[in-house]
Parts: sequence; structure tokens; C-alpha cells
Amino acid sequence: MIGFIARRLGAMVLTIVLSSLLVFFALQALPGDVATQVLGQNATPDAVAALREKLNLNQPPFQRYLSWVGNAVQGDFGESTASGDPVGALLWQSLRNTLLIAGIAVVIGIVASLVLGIVAGLQRDKPADHVISGASLVAMSIPEFVVATLLVLVFAIAIPIFPAVVLSDADTSIASLLPSIWLPAATLAIALSAYIVRMARAGVIDTMNSEFVSAARLRGLTRSQVLFRHALPSALLPTVNVIALNIAWLIGGVVVVEAVFNYPGVGKLMLDAVYDRDLPILQAIAVLSAMVYALSNLAADMAAMALNPRLRTGGR
Amino acid sequence: MGTAIRGGTLRIARPPASRAETLDPASGLSAYEYLGALYNRITRIGWDGSVIPDLAEKWDSSPDAKRWRFTLRSGVTFHDGHVLTAEDAVYSLRRILDPDVASPQAGVFEPLIDPAAITAPDAQTLQIDLLSPNAEFPSLLAAYQCYIIKADSGEAVASNGIGTGPFRLTSFKAAGQGEVVAYPEHFAGPPVLDRIQFFSISDQQARTNALLGGQVDLLSQTNLDFVTARVVNASSKTTIARVKNGQWYTIPMLTSNDPFDTARLRQAMKVAYDPMSMLNTAIQGTGTPGLDNPVPPEDPYWVETELKRGPDQAQKILKDLGKSNFTMELYTSAYDAILTPMALAYRGTVARAGIDIAVTTSSADSYFTDIWMQKPMMSTYWFTGRPIDQLLNQIFRSGSSYNETAWADKRFDQLLDSARAETNDERRRGIYQDAQQYIVENSGSITPFFADRLVGISKSVVNYRERGFEFDYLAIGLDSES
Repeated sequence: MIGFIARRLGAMVLTIVLSSLLVFFALQALPGDVATQVLGQNATPDAVAALREKLNLNQPPFQRYLSWVGNAVQGDFGESTASGDPVGALLWQSLRNTLLIAGIAVVIGIVASLVLGIVAGLQRDKPADHVISGASLVAMSIPEFVVATLLVLVFAIAIPIFPAVVLSDADTSIASLLPSIWLPAATLAIALSAYIVRMARAGVIDTMNSEFVSAARLRGLTRSQVLFRHALPSALLPTVNVIALNIAWLIGGVVVVEAVFNYPGVGKLMLDAVYDRDLPILQAIAVLSAMVYALSNLAADMAAMALNPRLRTGGR
Repeated sequence: MGTAIRGGTLRIARPPASRAETLDPASGLSAYEYLGALYNRITRIGWDGSVIPDLAEKWDSSPDAKRWRFTLRSGVTFHDGHVLTAEDAVYSLRRILDPDVASPQAGVFEPLIDPAAITAPDAQTLQIDLLSPNAEFPSLLAAYQCYIIKADSGEAVASNGIGTGPFRLTSFKAAGQGEVVAYPEHFAGPPVLDRIQFFSISDQQARTNALLGGQVDLLSQTNLDFVTARVVNASSKTTIARVKNGQWYTIPMLTSNDPFDTARLRQAMKVAYDPMSMLNTAIQGTGTPGLDNPVPPEDPYWVETELKRGPDQAQKILKDLGKSNFTMELYTSAYDAILTPMALAYRGTVARAGIDIAVTTSSADSYFTDIWMQKPMMSTYWFTGRPIDQLLNQIFRSGSSYNETAWADKRFDQLLDSARAETNDERRRGIYQDAQQYIVENSGSITPFFADRLVGISKSVVNYRERGFEFDYLAIGLDSES
């Protein structure tokens, strides 16, 4: 098991390195030049040349990549080309804000969708199942920016309970963000839940029809013993991977949701950075996203091991 | 609309320029909405389009229109108590010519002014000796890069915003929030409002939601599309204000390259389209036909130009040129909501003259680097509100960096020079009117229409007026405390 984790960690580092390499060179290919973007359309050629020199844009890309990696492993992600602020601090503020909505979305989304999925599975083809399955199909097919817009229309404009957008900057206090986090978190939770509900329902139905559950029933175990001790652990096994994938999806989802709500998180930081051609910020976000992706997959595999004794003891 | 109650806080949502934006008025990355609140210029453009005093009380020129003397108001103070003198004006204007500042206005001033010729003979007099005569010179000092800052405050002003304007800065963050409060000692009296708050919202839909949700009172630099405008208009708390002919829409043809290096072909492309049909199709009639004259009808120098139009006329020219069934690619992008409707309307209406236009949509991100001034025919827009001398010299004079059709016409440049040298107002008006007719006949610029800018505001906002990027900062207010 330790060997397995070590191998996975090695693969994770490789993933992060490869993705940072990919992003670095993809950004080089973006049309538009950082120096002209920073100085505006009317910059004189002299000023552009001076800024290119200052930002080391005249070095070959690979050399720039290596020096960036050298600083990044020491925790120095450089300075924003647009504002000159240290990238680490900017990213940290935004990450804190994003984790606030993502954390709430993950907790509410997973708990709600597991409960709904299990209920739907146990009540297969009964009214409760029809309602839950129907709703999850609808949620699955509506893009998150539409969900976000609908939530704003209903809960911020028609019935003004929540603010429609966030007006604060990224460095605001968490307390001042609190009224504004619920609509973005709800949007993410809805998008997140749809697939998990479907997977959990399918898993429960399959398992409840399997022979070992029938055997457990025939041995006279109570319904709750059958469900919680025997059926659920194997029913939820495939769902764990779906949860991991959905957490990874959140990285992309927050970009859209944060734009709609003007929420000062990593997604908005990224959009602004793309617009400003702010490579240091984009690089740092890319590495962060790769880490979240790799870690959530690792966590899913560990959870699968915990649920499945064969994986734990089979020598892998 | 009621009448403004003194006091209150106006909340403005704005799209941030970038994380590099600044309060330095000379910069190309300035946060426009703050400037008019914080600073004043030597002259400004009145609501009727004429040049009127701002920091200068009066001005006069030598008979050859080369030496200009501006008498500054006395007793004007900056927000930190410093008393305005002509030295501050000298510093601010010289700074625009400083290559390190890279001001967009430098290109306008460089051919006209040597920095050393901007002087202060006494504390209240600003004197400028021009390199060549310019009877319209005071209008050039009204550009929004020409706000006057304190002498030697070039570095600090980017973040402290100290000027002489009706509001003083209390906070500012690039691409973030900011606030200005009324400056009671302002020379033109205190403004109606106590305070203006600015919020940066990049996404246009999010900006509109903030207005509909009652979080802000006004959306700046936002020309709402027709669907959104209808939603804003239908809400009980918000409405649409129109900036009449606020946007100049144009289809530039690159005159430096084949095929549009032929003036007759350019003319065929102008006479071929139906102005009313384009106005109605592309912008649902919310504007004025341009008839290829870049000068908006509100401008005091505007004149009705003449050109024989119609599909038959276009076909005749094309036949003479041996270009019947002319085909051309017209580039557009999502950079602005009207560009694509304009391109499609143009394609539809010139088909009647046998012209086959293929509309190609290009990425909004790189539109101004890869398409603008690169492709033979594209669509773009400008804000209106520039004085005529600046408009014609910046966009139509040979070699100007904004000359988007790369038009180089000696006769036209001579017209501009003779207008500048003409000190008789009536005769100068005549030359500017000839210049408009010359543009309509010869330039590479198609102007199908001027469009009203549709601005979303709260119904409690009163005295909203906008010219270029500026509001009437003294008069704008709220009809109830909010």
C-alpha cells in the first residue's frame, strides 16, 4: 500500500510538471504581446522594447521556463506583469475566497446527492425516484451559467434576499463575503450533484439486486443492517470516482460561476489574467489546478481502497 | 425624473481597463470615470460642442494663431491645499510629450508643440508657442489626457489622484473598488452628490445584474444590447438613458493596398448601401444615418454632404472599373455587440448592387492586433465627442497612428493645415465643411450610422449626461437618499 501511494505521488509530480510545461508554451502561442497589453495600444516602440527587456521576454522561452520552475519550487511565483504585485499573495487571497464557495458546494452537494441517490435507488420506479431522477437529468443538461442566471433572477432580483453580484475586492474579510457566497455555492452544488445522484442511484440498484444482498436478507439481517453494512460500501464504490472527477470539474466550473457573480476568486483572477496576458498568474493557477486534479484523484483511489478490502489486501 | 436632492452616494459599476490601470490622466491605461471627478483641464468641450473655459478664464492668440496665452482662474486649490499656478499647467502639458509617459495624446501634440515652448510668463498665464499655426488649438487641450495635475506629481498622481476637481479621492484600487467624496472648495461650487463609489465588474451580464439587483445606480462604458436594454427598461427601478449618437460605427477600407487603393472603388462601396436600411436592420433605428461623414450631426462644424447614392450608381462605377460582381471579405468580432449586425446589414444591402460580401468573425481578443489595420475591410467603432480638429487629424491625416484606413492624401492634409491657419471663424468653418465633403467622396472610411449608447441607470439618478467618458459631475445626483 505504501508503495502504491509512493508510485501515485510520483505520477502526480510528473502530471504537474507536464501540465506546467504545456501551459507555459500554450501561453506563448496566444496572440498578442504582454508588453503591448500592459502598456496599451498607443505605446511607443521604445517603451515596449524596454518592458520586454525588463520582463526577460527576449530570452528563449525554454530558459524562461527553467528560471520560473527554479523560483516556483522555492515558493516564489514571481510578480504580476500587469500590476507588479507578488503572485503568491494574489493567488492566496483568491484561493481563500474560492475555497469558501467550493467547500460549501462540495459538502452540501455530496451529502445531498448521496442521500437523494440512495433514496432514488431504494425507491426505484416510485414517485420519489421519478422526481429525483427527473430533476437530476434537468440539472445535468442545463449549463451552470444558466443555473447561475436563474438563481440571480429569482433570489436577487425578483425576491431580493441575496446580492446579485459581489462588489468587494479579493482582499475583503470573509465576514463581508458571507452574504454573497450562497448563490455561487448553490450553483456549483447543483451542477456537482446531478452526476453523483445518477451514479449513486445506479450503484444502489445494482447492489440491491446482487446475490450477496439476497443472501444477507435470507440470513435474516434487518433492512438497515443489509443496507448500511453490506450494500452501501460496494454500491458507492463507483460513485467515489465520480465525486473525484466532479471536484476536479469544479476548477473549471468556478471560472464561469465567478464571472457571473463577479466573485473575487481564482476563476476571476484567471479570467482577468488571460485578458491582461499576465503569464506569471496564469502559470501559478495552472499548477494549482493540476495539483487539485491530481490530489482529488489520489484521494478517490484511497477512498476506494478503504471501501474495497480486495484493493487493500491484494498486494497492490 | 425628479429633482436632485443635495447629498447622497452614487454607485457606479465599471469594466476595469486592466490590473495595470491608473489615475494618471496622461496614461493610456487611465480609469476614465475617475478623471472628470478628480481633475480639471485648461479648456473643456461644452454640452453644445463648443470650447469653453475650465481652469482658464479666457485665452487669446497672436494673429497668426501660433502664440497662445491662457489666463488661469485665480484662487483654485488642489485637494491638498496647494494653489494652482501656471507652473502646474506647464508641467502637466510637458509631461504629455514625455516619451516615458507614452501618452496617447502625444501623437496629437508632437507635430504642434516643442516642450520647451510651453512656458509660464507669470503665475496666472500659460503660454504656448506652436510650431505651426492652429486656430483650433484650445479644443485640443480639452482631451481627457490633458487634465492638470500638480507640478512634479507625475509619479504620485497614479494612486493619489490629487487634482482640482469637484471630488477628491478617498480610495482607489486598480481593477477594484474606489471612492471619491465632494471637495467643498471646488471653484465651480460643491457638487450635488456627497460621494461616488466605483466598483469594477468585468462581465457585462454581471454588471447588468448588479443594476437590476439594486446594488449599483449606473453602468459606465457599457452599451447595452437591445435584449438587455429591454429587460432594464421593463424593471420598475431601472431605466435606459440614451447618449445621442454616442458611438461612431465605421467600416474602414485599407487604402494602402489592393483593391481599395482605388478611390473610385471605395466610393462604389459607399454609394452601394442603403443608409436607412442599415440603420433599421443593425441598430433598430436607435441612431442617425452617417452618410460616410465621420463628423457627428451634433458637432458645431457638421455639414450636410452630398454624394450620388444608389445601387445603380455603384454598379456603374464597378462596371467602369471592370469589377462587376465584386467580392470582398468583411471582418467583424464580438468585441462590440453592434459590429456583427452592422457587417451583416452591410452585406445584405450591398447585394442589390451585385457586391458579394463574405462576413468573417474573428477573435475579439486579438481583433485590434491581427485584424485592425491589417485586413482590407473590417468593422469597428469609436466614441464620439472629440473636437473636429482632433478627429480629422487623428484619424484621417497621413501618417497618424490612428489612421485606420492608412489614407495618405496630400490635398486633404493641406485642407487640414489651411483650416488650422485660418483665424477667421466663418472661413475656418467653410474649410472644415469642405474637408467633410472631401472625406465622403475620397476616404476609405464608410460610416453607415452613429448609434445612441444605451446606458443602464437607476430611476433615482437625475441629471445624467455623458460626453465621451465624462458625466456632468457637478450636477449628477439622486432624487432620494440612497
